[in-house]
Amino acid sequence: MKGNGVTGNANPLRRVGALVDGARDWWEHAKAWQRYLVYLGAVVFALILPAPAIGSFMSPGADWTSVLIYPIGTYILLAVGLNVVVGQAGLLDLGFVAFFAIGGYSVAYFGTQYGWNYWATVAFGIILAAVSGVILGAPTLRLRGDYLAIVTLGFGEIVRITANNTDEIGGARGITNVPHPTDIPGVVEFGLLPAPYYYLILIAIVLVIIFSVRLQKSRVGRAWAAIREDEDAAELMGVPTFKFKLLAFAIGAMIGGLAGGIYAGKAVFIEPNTFPFILSATILAAVVLGGAGNLPGVILGAFVIAWLPERFREVNWLKDVLDRDPAEYRILLFGGVLVLMMALRPEGLLPSRRRRAELHEGTGGMGTMGAEVAGPDTDVTTTEAAK
Amino acid sequence: MLLEIKDIHVHYGKIAAIKGISLEVDEGEIVSLIGANGAGKTTTLKTISGLRPLTSGKVVFNGEDISKMPGHKRVMAGIGQSPEGRGVFPGMTVQENLLMGAYTRKDALDADLAEVYELFPRLAERKNQFGGTMSGGEQQMIAIGRALMTKPKVLLLDEPSMGLAPMLIAQIFEIIKEINKRGTTVLLVEQNAQQALKLSDRAYVLETGRVVKSAPGPALLDDPQVRAAYLGGH
Repeated sequence: MKGNGVTGNANPLRRVGALVDGARDWWEHAKAWQRYLVYLGAVVFALILPAPAIGSFMSPGADWTSVLIYPIGTYILLAVGLNVVVGQAGLLDLGFVAFFAIGGYSVAYFGTQYGWNYWATVAFGIILAAVSGVILGAPTLRLRGDYLAIVTLGFGEIVRITANNTDEIGGARGITNVPHPTDIPGVVEFGLLPAPYYYLILIAIVLVIIFSVRLQKSRVGRAWAAIREDEDAAELMGVPTFKFKLLAFAIGAMIGGLAGGIYAGKAVFIEPNTFPFILSATILAAVVLGGAGNLPGVILGAFVIAWLPERFREVNWLKDVLDRDPAEYRILLFGGVLVLMMALRPEGLLPSRRRRAELHEGTGGMGTMGAEVAGPDTDVTTTEAAK
Repeated sequence: MLLEIKDIHVHYGKIAAIKGISLEVDEGEIVSLIGANGAGKTTTLKTISGLRPLTSGKVVFNGEDISKMPGHKRVMAGIGQSPEGRGVFPGMTVQENLLMGAYTRKDALDADLAEVYELFPRLAERKNQFGGTMSGGEQQMIAIGRALMTKPKVLLLDEPSMGLAPMLIAQIFEIIKEINKRGTTVLLVEQNAQQALKLSDRAYVLETGRVVKSAPGPALLDDPQVRAAYLGGH
């Protein structure tokens, strides 16, 4: 059923779709200076985003800058990381929160127990996350599709439960008094005010986006695209598929670890339940909803997923209609909106053209589920008459 | 001998798909494997190209034992495959698909690309179209062209005629002949035994994981047993 609903019929979002296509055409033919102007515009927009004028609409009930840090900024960072794994290499990872946890715990543990410098703990957390990504990937990346999903799901839970049962890192009580980021004298002080953390996470997001785009355009990106679209064919082209899948896991894990480190530095307190399975699922939903593989889409998806439930706390007309606190119904509303969006734009809010072609073919990443089933000559005949 | 397979056994889980197949392909030949569904034809090709591990036996290519070499290195050694069901990258354009074939190469590609477009003018017309939106026959052309871009010494073709209209089948076989004439050895797996045998220097008949017969292609065309089983004749 993938992608079928998209081509035909009068769909209220079709005009939006046409608009998106138009923008994409313009972008493809835009000159370098025009593109840089757009980048500049995006950065300026992000810089002034915490302005109270915007916040009064976006987040009337809670501090807008704090909402921008968590969940919005953190989700975006995580989604860009998971997009490397799911969107670029096409590996279904249901345990991504594990790397977020490893990054967070590194900062918390080495900061409180050994008094390491915050930035050192973040760097160490990133390395630790990458190593654990490789450790998870090495035995499991020989699996495909659903099997990989199940194993990664298990990994996410193992990390959480291990944290829960290890007294050395606080057990179920977690770690309190996690140090804030070290001040940079004369430039910025990290205290209780949220603004510096917002700009910290913004810098992290921008760096990660640049990194991710560079990768996508490199030989590595081409190899990932081939693996995502047809793993066997990729191997037949001379792509060392296993190594590249491992690399995708490690890079995704690093970005997850970075997000965890920044989160812990702001939150001051972390515990195992900060890293539940549902967070993995939410980030995956953000990637898929936005349009896996397409960075602007993924960022938009993460924004929507993070922002909507917060915004729904304050839907005041609902308060009048239902005579109840809308906060109680916000997840219900959120679910409804998700279902609606996936029904209207099943390929994601902003899918890339290429992704769309993949989905129409019925392959590509999570659609493949290419588990090899035992049986002599598994003839998956995709027979189709030529015209 | 360019390619030699010695008594290979391959398992899917506990099920033996190949129970001791030996075959040889000499430089410049077209050799085909024919047989019914489940005979082990595709598995044999996958084993040669390294997509399936061996349980026992040996694959020798160019005098070197490559039984343990991973698939992506066999490409560099000179084994190119057009996989079963074509395996075109749907989200890449025709040209990008062909360039994927040259992924491991560092030498100049222009001449080879031009040659593929010359063999398949249809692809030249549609360079910038997504692979996934091409028809079955065109996808088959992409798959073969892409395999040629790896500059193979031996080209493994898995059911190039599958799902194609008769006109196109004839055309594809013509092209295979032409590719062979230009110096690439071809190992062909086909259910379309008639066409394959006509084209082949030699052929092996596979049945449930074993070679039951091997002879020059035209001779098998006249073999009463083969005719009865695979050619629908008497």
